[in-house]
Amino acid sequence: MRHLSERALDAASAAGAAYADCRVINRTVQRLTVKNGVVASVELFEDEGIGVRVIAGGAWGFAGIDDLAAVSVEEAARHAVRIAKASSRVNRTPVRLAPAPALVGEYRTPVVRDPFAVSLDDKVGLLMRTDEAMAHLAQVRVRECSLEFVREVRHFASSEGAVLDQTIIESGGGLDATATSDDEVQTRSFPNSFGRHQVCAGWEAIEAFDLPGNAGRIAEEAVALLTAAECPAGTMTVILDATQAAMQVHESCGHPTELDRVLGHEAAYAGTSFLTPDLLGSFRYGSEHVTMTADSTRAPGLGTFGWDDEGVAAQKSVLVDQGIFSGYLSSRETAATIGQVSNGAMRADGWSRLPIIRMTNVNLEPGTSSLEEMIATTEHGVYLETNRSWSIDDRRLNFQFGTQNGWEITDGKRTRLVRNPIYSGQTPVFWGSCDAVAGPAEWQMFGVVNCGKGQPSQSMHVGHGAAPCRFRNVRVEPAR
Amino acid sequence: MSADEELISAADQALASLAHGQAEVVIADVRSELTRFASNEIHQSVAERYRHIRVRLIDGGRTGVGEVRGHGDAAVALAFAAAEESRRVATKADVSPLPSASDGDVDRPVAFSEATDAATPQQRAELVSMITDAAGAKSINAYGALSTATTTTAIVTSEGVRKSATSTQASLVSVARGDDGGGYASRHSADIAALDVAGLAAEVVDTCVRNQGATAIGPDDYEVILSPYAVTDLLEHLAWSGFSALAVQEHRSFMRIGEQLMSDSITIRDDAQTPEIFPFPFDDEGVSTRPVTLIDRGVCAAVVYDTPTARLDGVASTGHSLPQPNTWGPLPRHIAMDAGDTPWQEMVASVSRGLYITRFWYVRDVHPLRTVITGMTREGTFLIENGSITRPVKDLRFTQSIVEALAGVMQVSRERRLELGEGESGVLSPWLHLRRFSFTS
Repeated sequence: MRHLSERALDAASAAGAAYADCRVINRTVQRLTVKNGVVASVELFEDEGIGVRVIAGGAWGFAGIDDLAAVSVEEAARHAVRIAKASSRVNRTPVRLAPAPALVGEYRTPVVRDPFAVSLDDKVGLLMRTDEAMAHLAQVRVRECSLEFVREVRHFASSEGAVLDQTIIESGGGLDATATSDDEVQTRSFPNSFGRHQVCAGWEAIEAFDLPGNAGRIAEEAVALLTAAECPAGTMTVILDATQAAMQVHESCGHPTELDRVLGHEAAYAGTSFLTPDLLGSFRYGSEHVTMTADSTRAPGLGTFGWDDEGVAAQKSVLVDQGIFSGYLSSRETAATIGQVSNGAMRADGWSRLPIIRMTNVNLEPGTSSLEEMIATTEHGVYLETNRSWSIDDRRLNFQFGTQNGWEITDGKRTRLVRNPIYSGQTPVFWGSCDAVAGPAEWQMFGVVNCGKGQPSQSMHVGHGAAPCRFRNVRVEPAR
Repeated sequence: MSADEELISAADQALASLAHGQAEVVIADVRSELTRFASNEIHQSVAERYRHIRVRLIDGGRTGVGEVRGHGDAAVALAFAAAEESRRVATKADVSPLPSASDGDVDRPVAFSEATDAATPQQRAELVSMITDAAGAKSINAYGALSTATTTTAIVTSEGVRKSATSTQASLVSVARGDDGGGYASRHSADIAALDVAGLAAEVVDTCVRNQGATAIGPDDYEVILSPYAVTDLLEHLAWSGFSALAVQEHRSFMRIGEQLMSDSITIRDDAQTPEIFPFPFDDEGVSTRPVTLIDRGVCAAVVYDTPTARLDGVASTGHSLPQPNTWGPLPRHIAMDAGDTPWQEMVASVSRGLYITRFWYVRDVHPLRTVITGMTREGTFLIENGSITRPVKDLRFTQSIVEALAGVMQVSRERRLELGEGESGVLSPWLHLRRFSFTS
């Protein structure tokens, strides 16, 4: 890979680039799905290419190509320079990068057992056992379970002298049980919704999920939801399970702290942010129970790596400190605009996409409570589990989430299962009403594998550590 | 040799290595470029090109799939090897066989433009500057993206299917923002030369200028005029949640064939030969895509099929397959709502009190069977009073059943616009006048 990056950087420099970096990436993906007792698909995917990013004439240019012949790589670099020069004719403000050391090193995701060393037969076997454990209920019309494994070998080099090699390994899996009746459809998922839960780890993570051991229970919950009472409506206490807390963190803290959004780079697509720089260090984002961090050193999150995609080292930084808005996710370019240095959040969806600011592992730090204690000290409310729907406005203030199921809480006890719950609110009001977060024993790292942003669209894998947490005076209602 | 012929030849060569069973080889060459702008400057401009090879093998009741991005014989061999390894571990099942070449297949038009195929970064920069200049002249900022893409796709199978097509797409989307509000506009065409960039610039700037200083209005049920940008979201979510045969077979769809669920002024079709919606002749199995009337004057008329769902129902595929095998089922990707006969401005003039909605944002299914969705309004929500748009109002969240909303249609405009949905398929939508739309916060 080194010889390719040298050719690319030399070609970019010769064409007039003031700065250049490139990423040579080889990605291998295994994706297995079993649906209703049949192997629905076993997809094996190989992808290799190079992306070259340059600054020329004060503007950015980027070109990616999957043809790794030297002549093609050099032409891609020259094309990136042509693109930059075309953009520079429209621009008034030259790109400025915050300083960053030119690092050299290697990183590899720590795994106990390489998932690519586990046979496909064993993987299919696990999924078939999982499917069988859901097959005893006739009302479960759709049973689906899947595994995904990703190995990405990344080589990064820059004209400043950085040379970084990384191998990132991901393992993911999950199951869905969908039960139907004449007038209702209900889905339950495990360990998380939208197909699977994924982490930067090896086969040991899949074994820890214990999909076959949880499948029967999840299927029974889906059937129970068909005849459960509709969620009560009103303003009440809400306790989120850790998976839904992770989704709440993703949408209402992760995205609004992306500094490119704040600067308008995503205004025409993903949106902007209510967390403007004048609020940094003083705005009360949440209660004193709320501390959120971006931590790309924290295994086994999907945002765990050695360096980001512009060569900045993995690190932990505070976004919300005991309720006070304290930091952004940044890049070298955006950090320079507010007089800071990058905290390493530039990531790209493969070699063919330009790195943009993405979440790493954005975590709600654990508190001191527990789910049991939160329920026991709630007079009336709902405990909500597993995301079903999510929507938030383009500044990340007005949100509405739905979950797969809920439990009504009365006088400190879970009393009955309820279906179709949705809750809504305004981000700082909601986090301001947080009065308890469970402790480290119930804190868990989750993976989001479908975070969309950027044009052309990029789908990023990001991590969120979270624990059950409680909020007062939240609007709750059933989806009608 | 043309791009189509080159890919057919490459797929033919790949297929020649098949020893037994059935095989499908799909090769796509993609070349796309995109120029993105923010605060009246170009901040990102990118290009990518790649070849995607997909091999599906069926033998002995087992299916396998291998996919590779790369060039040359080695990439093809890798895809075949991956497909065979995948097939080996699959369970034996009642596999839907590959479709055969149909005698009725004819060559159909494809959306292609030489101008789009030849578009340069300089050309995109110049078109973008038309928008940034228009915004700058009003002391507001423009944001957006202009993309151009050429894709050549070839499908060759052991069952005699040999198809290819080269298509282009040019898309321009822009938001303009002032101190206290914004506007939105988009234009899409196979031909970059046909993009009405000046019209877009005028529209986005005008909407932004009118949408300054919005005041809050309480959540409630409102009579509404939805612009085509907003209607596109409704149609796309109907497609995802209900227009698929698999959704019906799995009891997940709102569609009850033969029942009237919507106003009789609503007809929704999928027709891959609609000139405005990037015509394309075949689906991901190589089956010719047939026009399907999904909703006929308010009545649930039909859903779309791929080969597996058609086999289950004993009918023919309508040519709406995604890459097989998959668990999502078929999908209509050329949806249009029939136009009405009222100019959209007259529809606004007929509203005594209501809201004009330019676009929705972050629309998500809340309860797919009931077609309940939620989302926000964005970049242009206006109060209509006594037949006139009087003032901008702050964005609102809605939670609404699409079917119930379309049961209360009062008027459909005679004008339509092409918009790309969140799934990036083209949707041709009119303005709609709805009796009631539920805003919740």
